[in-house]
Amino acid sequence: MTISHHPGEELLLSYASGAANEAAALLVASHLALCSDCRMSVAAAEAAGGSVLSQVAPVALDRNAYDAVLARLDAPTAEIVRGANLAGNVPAPLQPYVGSDFDNIPWRHIVHGLSYYPLLTRDGTRARLIRAKAGAGVAEHTHRGEEWTLVLAGSYRDVTGRYAVGDVQTTTPQIRHEPTADPGPVCINLAVTDAPLVFAGLLPKIVGKIFGF
Amino acid sequence: MEAGANEAGRLNAAVLAVGRARDRAAFQALFDHFAPRVKGYLMRLGAGNAVAEDLAQEALLTVWRKAALFDPAKASASTWIFTIARNLRIDAIRKERRPELDPNDAALLPQAERAADETMAWAEAEDRLRAALAELPREQAEIIELSFLAEKPHSRIANELGLPLGTVKSRIRLAMARLRVALGDGT
Repeated sequence: MTISHHPGEELLLSYASGAANEAAALLVASHLALCSDCRMSVAAAEAAGGSVLSQVAPVALDRNAYDAVLARLDAPTAEIVRGANLAGNVPAPLQPYVGSDFDNIPWRHIVHGLSYYPLLTRDGTRARLIRAKAGAGVAEHTHRGEEWTLVLAGSYRDVTGRYAVGDVQTTTPQIRHEPTADPGPVCINLAVTDAPLVFAGLLPKIVGKIFGF
Repeated sequence: MEAGANEAGRLNAAVLAVGRARDRAAFQALFDHFAPRVKGYLMRLGAGNAVAEDLAQEALLTVWRKAALFDPAKASASTWIFTIARNLRIDAIRKERRPELDPNDAALLPQAERAADETMAWAEAEDRLRAALAELPREQAEIIELSFLAEKPHSRIANELGLPLGTVKSRIRLAMARLRVALGDGT
């Protein structure tokens, strides 16, 4: 699988540092499940985090801290799961949110060929899954903020190019586009936005308002 | 550099000893080294003394419990413990879930399954990365450090430094490119 569009290094660094909110982190983790190149960037950033940790000014713990921890060492704990075998077509980081099979998600119908499923909202950033059959797509719009779209199945295109499984499209407010699913298998995307979309047409405006886009 | 590499090796060995043999002396060495650093890290990020104390203890308890999953071919002890502290903080302070990679990923396989030369190769790669980090131009190093020690979007970091966001982003790209090269092959 060749991935040509990656999240920027800035987003990868935010994921590694822990600054990225859950919605953005979900997109990055799902991309990492598909992209070894970005896994290497995150490994580099986390190693930088390890270096920052070893150089941070230490703060002494309570006098009895070590004894307090010692007293808890033998307490029974939940079994640590090693490499649980995940099945299904949903990337592992998404499975806690939607289960393992895209076909079992209770998709909400928007218009012909287009449905969605809301995942979560954090600090005004929303993550949702969008499902578009061949030829369907999100009506022409611009953005008030940034939007990241990770392709999980199928592919789509817009004025800027074609996006296939693993690709992340990053759009800024200036971009006006009408992403449309390619012929072939259904296209499923994870879309993360930090502000509502701005639709060009009246009907999409109304539909967008109803569905909270 | 040599002393730093030796210390990293000593800390890796201590986590392995805890994982394999529940070695309490090794655990105490890890506690003495890392607990005050984890507490310092959490306080730099705005946690109060009591919360930072609790989470630092919790982080070291997690080290004890998960030591068998530590894989020095994937991360040094300090990098591994950084990710533990980061995730505990997201969970306890932000009350968010931390989406993580595939649990089938080799990061979660017991270290016994990894070859010794892979372990050595990774330790050397992290040494190179630390050296590269120390040699970054001050303006790039500052942004990387703030990314870990100030929980703010890069747009706010840019604001506070009086820089355009584009400048901050390009410093991140330059710094990350150098760190990746260091991790890759050192040339």
